[in-house]
Amino acid sequence: MGNPKGFLEVGRKNPGYRPAEERVKDYNEVETHLSEADLKKQASRCMDCGIPFCHGCGCPVSNVIPEWNDLVYKGFWKEALDILRSTNNFPEFTGRICPALCEASCTVGLNGDAVTIRQIELEIIEKGYKEGYIKPEPPAVRTGKRIAVIGSGPAGLAAADQLNKSGHSVTVFERDLNVGGLLRYGIPDFKLDKKVVQRRVDLMVAEGVTFETGVDVGTDLSAKYLTNRFDAICITTGAKAPRDLKTAGRELEGVHFAMEFLWQQNCRVCGQVFEGENITAKGKKVLVIGGGDTGSDCVGTSNRHGAKAVTQIEIMPEPPETRHPGTPWPLWPYQKRTSSSHKEGCTRMWNIATKSIEGENGKVKRVNAIKVEWELGPTGAPLKMKEIPGSEFVIEADLVLLAMGFTGPEQGGIISQLGLELDQRSNVKVNADWMTSKPGVFAAGDVASGASLVVRAIAAGRKMAENVDKYLGNNK
Amino acid sequence: MGISTLRSYRGAQIFEAVGLAKDFIDDYFTGTASRINGIGVAEVAREAEMRYKRAYAPAPGVPHLLDAGGQYHFRLGEEKHLWTPETITKLQFATRNNDMKMYKEYAKYINEQAEHLCTLRGLFKFKKAAQPVPIEEVEPASEIMKHFVTGAMSFGSISKEAHETIAIAMNRIGGMSNSGEGGEDPERYIRLPNGDSKCSAVKQIASGRFGVTSEYLASARELQIKIAQGAKPGEGGQLPGHKVDKFVAKVRHSTPGVTLISPPPHHDIYSIEDLAQLIYDLKCSNTDARISVKLVSEVGVGTVAAGVSKGHADMVLISGHDGGTGASPLTSIKHAGLPWELGLAETQQTLVLNYLRDRIRVQADGQMKTGRDIVIGALLGAEEFGFGTTTLVVLGCVMMRKCHSNTCPVGVATQDPELRKRFAGQPEHLINFFRMIAEEAREIMAELGIRKFDDLVGRSDLLEMNKAIDFWKARNLDFSAVFKRPDNPNLPVRRTKAQDHGIDKAYDTVNILPKVQDAIENKKKVTLELPIHNVDRTVGTITSYHVAKKYGNAGLPEDTLTIKFKGSAGQSFGAFLSHGMTFELEGESNDYLGKGLSGGKIIVRPPVNASYNPSENIIVGNVLLYGATDGKIFIYGRAGERFAIRNSGVTAVVEGLGDHGCE
Ligand SMILES: Cc1cc2nc3c(=O)[nH]c(=O)nc-3n(C[C@H](O)[C@H](O)[C@H](O)COP(=O)(O)OP(=O)(O)OC[C@H]3O[C@@H](n4cnc5c(N)ncnc54)[C@H](O)[C@@H]3O)c2cc1C
Ligand code: SF4
Ligand code: SF4
Repeated sequence: MGNPKGFLEVGRKNPGYRPAEERVKDYNEVETHLSEADLKKQASRCMDCGIPFCHGCGCPVSNVIPEWNDLVYKGFWKEALDILRSTNNFPEFTGRICPALCEASCTVGLNGDAVTIRQIELEIIEKGYKEGYIKPEPPAVRTGKRIAVIGSGPAGLAAADQLNKSGHSVTVFERDLNVGGLLRYGIPDFKLDKKVVQRRVDLMVAEGVTFETGVDVGTDLSAKYLTNRFDAICITTGAKAPRDLKTAGRELEGVHFAMEFLWQQNCRVCGQVFEGENITAKGKKVLVIGGGDTGSDCVGTSNRHGAKAVTQIEIMPEPPETRHPGTPWPLWPYQKRTSSSHKEGCTRMWNIATKSIEGENGKVKRVNAIKVEWELGPTGAPLKMKEIPGSEFVIEADLVLLAMGFTGPEQGGIISQLGLELDQRSNVKVNADWMTSKPGVFAAGDVASGASLVVRAIAAGRKMAENVDKYLGNNK
Repeated sequence: MGISTLRSYRGAQIFEAVGLAKDFIDDYFTGTASRINGIGVAEVAREAEMRYKRAYAPAPGVPHLLDAGGQYHFRLGEEKHLWTPETITKLQFATRNNDMKMYKEYAKYINEQAEHLCTLRGLFKFKKAAQPVPIEEVEPASEIMKHFVTGAMSFGSISKEAHETIAIAMNRIGGMSNSGEGGEDPERYIRLPNGDSKCSAVKQIASGRFGVTSEYLASARELQIKIAQGAKPGEGGQLPGHKVDKFVAKVRHSTPGVTLISPPPHHDIYSIEDLAQLIYDLKCSNTDARISVKLVSEVGVGTVAAGVSKGHADMVLISGHDGGTGASPLTSIKHAGLPWELGLAETQQTLVLNYLRDRIRVQADGQMKTGRDIVIGALLGAEEFGFGTTTLVVLGCVMMRKCHSNTCPVGVATQDPELRKRFAGQPEHLINFFRMIAEEAREIMAELGIRKFDDLVGRSDLLEMNKAIDFWKARNLDFSAVFKRPDNPNLPVRRTKAQDHGIDKAYDTVNILPKVQDAIENKKKVTLELPIHNVDRTVGTITSYHVAKKYGNAGLPEDTLTIKFKGSAGQSFGAFLSHGMTFELEGESNDYLGKGLSGGKIIVRPPVNASYNPSENIIVGNVLLYGATDGKIFIYGRAGERFAIRNSGVTAVVEGLGDHGCE
């Protein structure tokens, strides 16, 4: 800790976004970067806590934040990078799109604004690329063990990276044409530029990881094929089954799952051709149902398409502007989150339930909605909902995007072929060693936890890899 | 230890090994104390080999980094600590919301250490009782809470807000809070309109003697002599200058911005007899308070405790090594002091065997965190329990370990006015905490079949080692010496009677008090002439207590009570003498004259017929005016060594001094 009073003397500085008018015209990243001088100052705000809650409680990959904060403050970027890489395989992803759980539990945030941890993380890794500190480092020896990783999202990539570095020969199978899972096909470019994903994939290829894309395991390849040829199998296929809206008019043209819409746009941005009807928001009145992050990505994408108006509705009540007392520090706060996409223009409404969708000539025209009321629990968490009689109203819409979350992994396919046991929430069940009910088959990421976060997927991928390594007898 | 110079460590064998096997010690550390057996050469070799293997088999791919270690700063996967983000969060949540369920989660992590062994008691287990009792029959929590005190955390090291909150909470539950060694603002002795009191029940007397005035002493229910601190035995203390703001300086009778040092030894204690003298002095300075002595868990502490009991202390505190670490030097946090389990067991055994236990209470402290901790403490022989760090955590401390730099972000251990505003602790949080601890203790008592807390004391036969914890380095530990009870079952194992301090026979009680009521009650001038002999110790102090109790430090108007003594005064003549009291001594005086002088006036001159030249002869002993805060002293003659050490306000006129004067 360079400056014991840093947190008192220096205020938090966020890099901010490019101006809204400018950024909605393109798909480039919206967030700007802090200057090196600013970053050092920001790093000086870290108090080097005796118990760093950021590291011990916030960050799922347990980044050793105080140490790299100090090194950045002193200008030792390479050393900071070494420490960062020891816990996080992909800081360039989390540095961009992590909700920064660390900052929610940062001790400075207890009575002020948390340290800008995510920004510092991002610049450490970006500087690493720029200065050439990051270069392919293939393992010196190969163990001769073969591992199949199914699914190339962050969980699969982290596991592949770890296992490859341990000297195992890793093949990653991916159903889509490009590698990255939701990093590539879910999260829009304006949050995470796909060049950043590709840069990492190229590095992993150079280090010896094999990627086989366009292969749907379970359909194109059988489970038996894999079990015969590989010493261990890692399932990291995500939790892609979307929650559906079971209501009249669901079948109308212009009603889509958010992921269909986002997937297409991500294909367009990276020049991937796809079949099927083009979903566009251009000139349309867009209604996004679901107030979460996926919904917010739909808002941003719709505005970039040139939508006439964008509305986002949420069935839950509006969260408070600041941390709800029911989720005190260092917990992840229940509070309202306003994304860069929201600031680009959209109407947000809470306490709204959808009654039915109506259309003309098979095309969606409007949504019938109703206001609801929530009974709150002692900690302020919404418990029970009831519709307010007579509060029905109509929202005009010619594109309806369903962003109501995910129910879990897609059922059938490889999971049932391998006969894997599921938990009550229909996720693949794993034991303390991250192994599924079938010996030698491991699982991690959204497929085992339900839809979550990139950083959690990375953390899970790493832990699974450690156990695969042990299983293969590489027990050090 | 009280070791002040590096050289004293050489060959002193002051170290104790914890967890090393006897034959191993005999071979390699001959003569070193080691009480619970433990690992030998084979285990040491195995550990060295493990380290070697790890060093040469780096984790995949990542840069080859040295482990962070996590000794002082928590790091996941490294050195284990009981304070983790999880336990801190749970404890704070539980105490703020009075949530017993959450408290239990917290306590479970602390109590069940199979996965993260941190303490000796983590390896203990309660024996199954033949006859458990229904919990309703166990003493209520409110009774158990009276056995609780908070640790000596000085105002100065922690903020005014934190210090006062602790005092209010403890006064509400009938426990005691401790002033620490920083003095106390007399404002706090006045009860608040709602009935609360910010007055610390325990007033500490440490080697720095900061702010130890007659009023300070008179306001206490307990006076505690701090011989050492568990986390840094023998080291004394230091309050960095930047934490000494105007207010702290005022309360401590010092200068703002100047670093304050409490030396390792007390300048008036060089032997156990000196300690007995100080105990007597303090008892006289407040005859209604009990006197306690704070010792540190270390081998041989039992012998010291026996001396303390013989020296008429009412309570002895055995302080464990892991108490109060925030501001301690890094080396001491890890490498000094011993677990209280060892010191407490030794103290109990020694006191019981020597028929000294029935007249002294025993207290233990050092990272007491749960009800299980205090039950184990009681079984090993303690009646009372001190909570230090845990108290602060309840009040918002998040273990920043920034206590020494004045930048505590939660306003607990800082004097920075901006940071102090952030203090969010409330007395209720602490009260909730203590109630939950007591409730947990009650549950254990019910299982043990014991209804009254007092009946737990000294029942170490109810403890055994938890063999289910199969940690390779713990396998050879043997706690039988810790759990041992004296064979004679009729020996008292807890305090059953009071110490005889001899107050009714004291010089003041017999010769002064009956004659000065008019002076004390009505501020009428009274002059006495009295003979004095060198067996008359601590003369004037009981009288000062009565003055201070009534008038505080302001005392009486100048020269209200004048006593002319003739003869040879014993030790501690005029100790803590209050304002308005004037002692004229014709003759000579022993050591400690004017100790802690608090506004009084002392004049010493040789007998008129003395044949010697006073300017060449010592007529008063050593260690005069130690820790004096106010008053005047005139000596027609020379004084001995260590004259007026830690003087903060007395004007003294003397003809000459021995070594170390005015340090
Ligand atoms: C729109 C959207 C935005 C998000 N934004 C953020 C954000 O900003 N920050 C954040 O931290 N998290 C965000 N998330 C969550 C995050 O993306 C996921 O938690 C994370 O990607 C999960 O990683 P994963 O590796 O478990 O699964 P996925 O990323 O879902 O990867 C699974 C991969 O497996 C492939 N696959 C599935 N079945 C098969 C098969 N049978 N054969 C071969 N391949 C198969 C899939 O095609 C996919 O590529 C967002 C999620 C969505 C939907
Ligand atoms: S990965 Fe996320 S939680 Fe961890 S340090 Fe980076 S931003 Fe914080
Ligand atoms: S919690 Fe905040 S202040 Fe503390 S070490 Fe982490 S980043 Fe630094």
